[in-house]
Amino acid sequence: MPTYGAALLSLSLGLCFLTVVLMGLFVRKGDERYFFVGQRTCLTVCFLVVLATITLLAGLMKSDFNVDYVAKYTSIGTPTIYKFTALWAGQSGSLLFWLFVLSCYVAVVIVQNRNRHEKLMPYVIMTLSVIQGFFLLMVNFVANPFAPVETDFILQDGLGLNPLLQNPTMAIHPPMLYLGYVGFSVPFAFAIAALCSRQLDAVWVRSIRRWTLFTWLALGIGILLGGWWAYNELGWGGYWAWDPVENASFMPWLTGTAFIHSIIIQEKKNMLRVWNMILILVTFLLCIFGTFLTRSGIVSSVHSFTQSSLGPMFFGFVLLILAVSIYLVLSRLDDLKSGKRMESFVSRESGFLFNNVVFVSICFAVLWGTMFPIISEAVTGTQITVGAPFFNQITIPIGLLLLTLSGIGPLLAWRRTSRESLTRNFSIPVLIGLVMAGVVMIAGVRSIYPVMTVALTAFVTSTISTEFWRGITVRRRKFNESSLQALFRMISKNRSRYGGYIVHIGIVFMFVGFIGKAFDKDREWAMSVGDEVRIAGYDIRLTALDEEERSNHYAWIATLDVTKKGETVTSLQPEKRIYFHKNPNPDRRQPHSELSLHSTWREDVYSVFGGIDPEKELLTIKIMVNRLVRFVWLGGYVLLFGTVIALWPDRRGL
Amino acid sequence: MNKKFAAVIISVALLMMVWVGLGFEGNELPYVTIQDLTTKETVKPGKRFRLGGNVKEGSIIRSETDPLALSFVLLQEEQQLPVSYHKIVPDMFKDGSEVIVEGIFNGERFYADNLMTKCASRYEGDLRKSDTSI
Repeated sequence: MPTYGAALLSLSLGLCFLTVVLMGLFVRKGDERYFFVGQRTCLTVCFLVVLATITLLAGLMKSDFNVDYVAKYTSIGTPTIYKFTALWAGQSGSLLFWLFVLSCYVAVVIVQNRNRHEKLMPYVIMTLSVIQGFFLLMVNFVANPFAPVETDFILQDGLGLNPLLQNPTMAIHPPMLYLGYVGFSVPFAFAIAALCSRQLDAVWVRSIRRWTLFTWLALGIGILLGGWWAYNELGWGGYWAWDPVENASFMPWLTGTAFIHSIIIQEKKNMLRVWNMILILVTFLLCIFGTFLTRSGIVSSVHSFTQSSLGPMFFGFVLLILAVSIYLVLSRLDDLKSGKRMESFVSRESGFLFNNVVFVSICFAVLWGTMFPIISEAVTGTQITVGAPFFNQITIPIGLLLLTLSGIGPLLAWRRTSRESLTRNFSIPVLIGLVMAGVVMIAGVRSIYPVMTVALTAFVTSTISTEFWRGITVRRRKFNESSLQALFRMISKNRSRYGGYIVHIGIVFMFVGFIGKAFDKDREWAMSVGDEVRIAGYDIRLTALDEEERSNHYAWIATLDVTKKGETVTSLQPEKRIYFHKNPNPDRRQPHSELSLHSTWREDVYSVFGGIDPEKELLTIKIMVNRLVRFVWLGGYVLLFGTVIALWPDRRGL
Repeated sequence: MNKKFAAVIISVALLMMVWVGLGFEGNELPYVTIQDLTTKETVKPGKRFRLGGNVKEGSIIRSETDPLALSFVLLQEEQQLPVSYHKIVPDMFKDGSEVIVEGIFNGERFYADNLMTKCASRYEGDLRKSDTSI
C-alpha cells in the first residue's frame, strides 16, 4: 500500500509538469492539440490525486500500521469516523487533503468552462497546475503521507488521535477551512489569466463571482466552526483568541470580503479594476502566507503544528506568487486602468470604496500584530508579542466603523445621492439608533463600545428593514401582490442584493454577541461536596462527585446544581477525564477536562472541572457566565442562509 | 475628482495606520529569557513579561490550604526561575511540560497570571518510545 500511494503521487507530479509545459506550448504556438492534451493530462492529475487520497483513507480504515502516518494518528481503538478525519489530522495527510480539494476544484473548473473563456482557460489551467505542482512537490519530497514506518519491529497498535480532536465539529472545521483556503486558488487563477491574456474587462470577474462567494462562505463557516469548537470543547470559555493561526485564517477572509464587495462595482461600472486585481492577488497570497505562518513555527501559537522544513518552501512559494503578481500588474497597468471617475463622495461607489479601505485596514492591523513578534525581534533583538488586548483595542472601533458603513451603503444611490434623499432615508434609522442607545444607558450600561454597538446594530437593522419594506411596498402597488408574495418575488428577482442584506443582518447578530463579551463574569473556586458558591446571581452547589471507568478513559464527574433566586435552572456535569488511563507509562496518560454548559439567549453558564485532589476530595471548579454568545452562532446561521440565497442558481442559467 | 478621492482614501489609510501604531502603547509583552529578566530588563513594577520554558521535574508544589495556589520552577537550559500561579492549570501541565507564562517579576519570583501549555494540538509522538510495540 505505501508504494502504491507514493507511485500515484510521483506520477501526478510528472503529469502536472507536463500540463504546464503543454499549456505553455499552446499559448506560444497556438496549436489547439496542445490545449486539448493538456486539459486531459490535468484531469488525469486530478484523478490520480483522488486515487492517492482514497489509498491513504483505505490505509487509515484498515489500520495499516506499516505507514508512519497511519500509526501516528490512529489506533485500533479509534472510532471509524475519526479514522476518517485522521486524514487531515497531521501534517502530510493535511497536505494531501489540500491537494485533493484543489484537484476536485480544478476538475470542476475544467468541465464547467470546457466551451467558455477560450482565451482565459489555458492560463487558468496553467496557474492551477503550478499550484498543484507545488503541493505535489511537498507530498513527494518533504512530507510524504505514504512514508513507511521507521521502526525495526512490527507495530501492533498506533498512537491514536488526540482526544481533543475526537469531536464532530473537529470533523468539519478543517475541511471547511480548506474549502475556503484552497478555493481562492480559482479566482486567483482567473485573475492571473486575465492579466496574461489582457482580457481585463468584467468577464473574468463575472465568471468567478460564484466561486468567490462559495469560497468566502466556506472560509467564514470554517472560522466560525473553529470558534464553536474552541468554545464547546477547549474550556477556556471563549471563541476567539487572536492566536496567529486564527489570524491567518481571518486575514484572507477580510480581503476576500472586500473583494466580493468591490467586484460589484467592476460588474456594474467597470471601475476599480486595478484595485480588484490587487485584492484577489493579495487574498490568495494571504492564504498561502497563512499556511506558511502556521506550518513554519516562526510565530508561537497554541495550535503549534509540527515545525518542519515546510516553512522555507512555503516562503519561497509566497515570494514566487508575489513576484509574478507584481510583474503582471505593473506590466498591464495601462490596460487595467479604466479611466472612469468617481462622481461624488456620497454615492454607492464611494461607499463600497470606503468599505474596502476599512476591510484592508483591519487586515493590515491583524497582519501587523501577528508579525510584530518577528519584526520586533529583527529590529530590537527582543521578541515583543502583543496579545488579545491589542487586537481588541485596534479592531473594535474599526469594526464599528464597518458596521456603520454596512448600514449607510445600501441606502446610497449610484453616482450621487441628493441631500433630500439622505435626510429622507436616514432620519428614522438614526433616530432609532439614538433611542436604543438611550435605552441601554438608562438600563445602566455606561461603557462606550457596548452603547455604540447597540445604537449601530439598531441603525443597521432599521436601514436594512427599510430597504426590504420599500421593495415590498413597490411590488404590492405595482403587481397587486400580497406582502409575503412580494417579499419572495423581490428576493428571487435580485438574489445577490437581498442575500447580501441578509448576510449583513447575520453580521449584526454577531456584533450583538460580541457586545456580550464586555459583561462576562468568571471565577475559580476550590470546592468539596456540599459547598455552594455564587456568581452573577446564580447559586451553584456541588452536590455529588462520581467516578466512572469507561472504554478508553477514567472519569470524575462533578454534579453542580445551578439555581437562581431559589429556582432550579439546570444541573451541570463537568468531567475530568484521564484518557489511556491503563497505560503503564504515566506520560502517555492524558488528562482532559470535559466542560458542561447551559445556554440561553441571555447568557451561558459554563463550568469547567479544573482539577482534583483525590485524597481530600477537593476539586477546583471554574464557572463562567458568558453573555449573548448564542447570538454569534445565530449570526453564523443567518450568514449561511443569506449567502445561499445569493448563490442560488438563476433559472435563466449560470 | 479622482485626485481628491485618492487624497481622501490615502488620508483615511494613514489615519488607520497611526491608529494601529498607537495600539501598541501599553499592550506590548516582551518575550524574554530568564537571563534577560535578571540582567538586561529594567524591572518596573507592574511591567508584564512573557517567558517560555519547561517545568522542572519534581518542582510543582501545590499549597496545602489553597488548592488553586501553585508554584513551580521554570527551566531554560541552565537558568531557573521560581514561578507562582493562582488559577486552574491546563490539562497538559505536568513535570517536564513545555509552558509559556505571562506575568510580572518582582526581582526574585515570577507571578504568572496566565499559563499556557504548548501541547501539540496533534500528537507528534515518537513511535520508537511507544509502549504499544512488542
